[in-house]
Amino acid sequence: MKNFNIFTAVAVVATILAVLFIPGVDDYVERTFQVYLGRAAR
Amino acid sequence: MKIIKRTIIVVFCLLLIPVAAIATAGAKQRFEDGPNRVFSGGPLVTGELHLGPDPDWSFVSDIPTIEMQLLDPAQSRRIWIAEYENKIYVWSGYMGNPIGRLWKQWPIQAERDGRAVIRINGIRYERQLKRLRTGDVLDGLTAAITAKYPSATTRAAVEAGDVWVFEAAPRS
Repeated sequence: MKNFNIFTAVAVVATILAVLFIPGVDDYVERTFQVYLGRAAR
Repeated sequence: MKIIKRTIIVVFCLLLIPVAAIATAGAKQRFEDGPNRVFSGGPLVTGELHLGPDPDWSFVSDIPTIEMQLLDPAQSRRIWIAEYENKIYVWSGYMGNPIGRLWKQWPIQAERDGRAVIRINGIRYERQLKRLRTGDVLDGLTAAITAKYPSATTRAAVEAGDVWVFEAAPRS
């Protein structure tokens, strides 16, 4: 369980850094979010 | 019991990753020049500022969305627009229920301070948002809205407060 918690923390930090600094990741996240938001709004 | 607790923790941790991604992308967009898709953007900075009389607004019928920024707070979002009798209008649905009002903050902010900037095809226009609550203009306007978009906006919905409609008038 301890290893899983470390994995989660690393994954969250890596995700934040990827969205902030890798071009196109933020747009991919927003596009995906838009799909689910659109489904929920219907 | 222990396995249920662990399952909940694992699910929570796995959900944390997409939540972090969405929150970060949303926060990042706040520092950009305008919105992207669904997340609010920062102030509309680039683009020529239109001066002089209003143009013939009929061209907005071919434009699916515009960028609109309120001056207070200085945040922008992408929204639908309709033209009717050479005036332009923006609106927000879901205003009749508490979740909608929590989600859609800009209409409440616009009613408090209607100064806005819209950007269409890279040109910025200074506008004053004026809320329409009732009137015969709503018949034609809602017909224009439903003809352009897959929307069920009606005059009754506007007058009931479920849809808030604003005329984006020239700022004097």
